[in-house]
Amino acid sequence: MMDVGRHPRIKLLTYSEIEEISGYIGNFRIKIRRKARYVDENECTACDECVEVCPVIVPKEHQMGLASRKAIYIPFPQAVPSAHLIDIEACLGFDPIACSKCAEKCDKNCINYDDKDKIIEFDVGSIIVATGMDVYDPTEFDEYGYTRFENVLTSMEFEILTGPGGVTKGELIRPTDRKVPKSIGFIQCVGSRCEKRGNPYCSNVCCMNTIKDTLLLKEYYHDIECKVFYVDIRASGKGFEDFYRRSKGLGVKYIRGIPGDIREDPKTKNLILTVENTSKGSIEEHELEMIVLSVGLVPRYDSDVIQKLLTLSTTSDGFLMEVHPKLTPIDAPTSGVFFAGCCEAPKDIKDSVTQASGAAARALTILSQDKVKIEAVTSIIDEDKCTSCGICADVCPYGAIIVDKKAKIPAKVIEAACKGCGTCAAECKFDAIRMRHFSDEQIMAQLEAILEENPEEKIVVFACNWCSYPGADLVGISRMQYPVSPRIVRTMCSGRVDEKFILHAFELGAPIVLVTGCHPVDCHYIDAQQWAQRRVERLWDKLERKGIRPERLQLEWISASEVGKFVKTMEELEEMRKKVTREEIEETKRILSKIKK
Amino acid sequence: MIEEADFKCLRCGHEFKAPYEKGKIEERFCPKCRSNSVRHIKKKL
Ligand code: SF4
Ligand code: SF4
Ligand SMILES: [Zn+2]
Repeated sequence: MMDVGRHPRIKLLTYSEIEEISGYIGNFRIKIRRKARYVDENECTACDECVEVCPVIVPKEHQMGLASRKAIYIPFPQAVPSAHLIDIEACLGFDPIACSKCAEKCDKNCINYDDKDKIIEFDVGSIIVATGMDVYDPTEFDEYGYTRFENVLTSMEFEILTGPGGVTKGELIRPTDRKVPKSIGFIQCVGSRCEKRGNPYCSNVCCMNTIKDTLLLKEYYHDIECKVFYVDIRASGKGFEDFYRRSKGLGVKYIRGIPGDIREDPKTKNLILTVENTSKGSIEEHELEMIVLSVGLVPRYDSDVIQKLLTLSTTSDGFLMEVHPKLTPIDAPTSGVFFAGCCEAPKDIKDSVTQASGAAARALTILSQDKVKIEAVTSIIDEDKCTSCGICADVCPYGAIIVDKKAKIPAKVIEAACKGCGTCAAECKFDAIRMRHFSDEQIMAQLEAILEENPEEKIVVFACNWCSYPGADLVGISRMQYPVSPRIVRTMCSGRVDEKFILHAFELGAPIVLVTGCHPVDCHYIDAQQWAQRRVERLWDKLERKGIRPERLQLEWISASEVGKFVKTMEELEEMRKKVTREEIEETKRILSKIKK
Repeated sequence: MIEEADFKCLRCGHEFKAPYEKGKIEERFCPKCRSNSVRHIKKKL
């Protein structure tokens, strides 16, 4: 942190909040609120004399309320800049001045009660989001008595208690009697891997954190008794299994089973927990002087702020979603934005450092160029046809379209932000959007060629570029067989499959039409796939109203590796195709041509 | 609001009930044939 603060080419803005981000890759403009500190950070030498005279005492956030601070304070020892600030909410007030003890004490006249928030703006080429995470609050696990028993702590509180910068300067004491506990229990997976309470995912770091804690305890307090209650120990990183073995070698007891409840002995304040030891198949009671709840990691409470500012999405667990979990794990869907650390998923220090290094390198790939190359598949607005309805802007997963509905200014595509999914073109009711490549004309021409001869023998399959089309390819590479009737029309995303393409296929005599693409979690365009599903669902109703069997329009999510599903789907559709009679096809054609007229 | 709704598989014809939240798009599949061609059958008023 110090190095960052001193680096000549890094501008570190602490105690600041981002208010607005506009622009796109290579050209972001950021508006930042620098909050008033009421202390001149350049003059303050952190002598602490002001702190001594300040009469206000409040809980210290950085130590989760286990320690206190004054209204004038430094958030944590390593804070950069090493200068004080005034917590204006806690201060007795200086409008009118109610106290001013700090100002009177400061010889250097650093205190400025007239300080105001400042808004600054600057341009950046790329952005790295490293907003971190929060820890799970175990209050809902009432059976563990976290809010009732003082000697039940969370792993974060334990860290604060035992860390060198902590309240006890690293000395372990138990809260009720301020003595070193003789025994400690750790309960794993509190708030993690649970469908009913907390979160269903594994928080990744808690097992190793507990193992590390037990090793430290055994090093400093040889006789301390440590017991770890767990579901299974996940020690899958480099050297982690050795760590685990060392802990067991030092006498730490690992008991497979999650305690059902904790009681407190009112006299000794010791804690008695009941657990089913699943290795032995027995119900056991353990008396311990202190218990640490190994709580999981959760998305930051305010992560929706950065999510909105940068038009990002989250995965079902609430962490920010990357473009692709395997192929582009560092890139945010918004071009020029990258992730580092736990904002993207729970991860340990090593993985965070690895990802941060990757993010810095990815950001440099943009900053080192005068121009960035983007895919040629983008959308173009026909301003004469655009009615400024704003639908395209609403559906674009990347916020790449700007429309001023009120002023009736036609839509505008930020080409550098557009990824070419084609959803906007498919959703525009006024045909005002044209795609560069995979254009309407090209797709219509493909349909006409496919259905020119013997259309009743063909199944039209719209397959997306990233999942279903490669899936079909893999079927071929794997030398698997499927019926000859399907004819594939490739689009970048299933979101591109316009209603008019489907109706045109039926009008040309297609017995069956299939729309297929990535499963929702795999969509390469954040959530553009959902628009394909909405459209197909709408079309089922529409077809039925017109007297066309909705069954003839099929929907299937097939990933690139689901060769079996691809073959099964084609075989089932072939059976369906055989049942569509020539009369039915002719009737469909008649209905659709009548609607056109 | 999550409620139980009627669905019909447009692949195998199987009809079933499943949780449904208006406006929410999620991957649906037929419990019988696993197809995603699952249509929400709206109640007729
Ligand atoms: S959806 Fe079409 S008409 Fe509506 S604003 Fe976008 S381009 Fe214009
Ligand atoms: S093609 Fe996709 S990414 Fe590009 S503007 Fe349209 S909806 Fe947005
Ligand atoms: Zn079915």
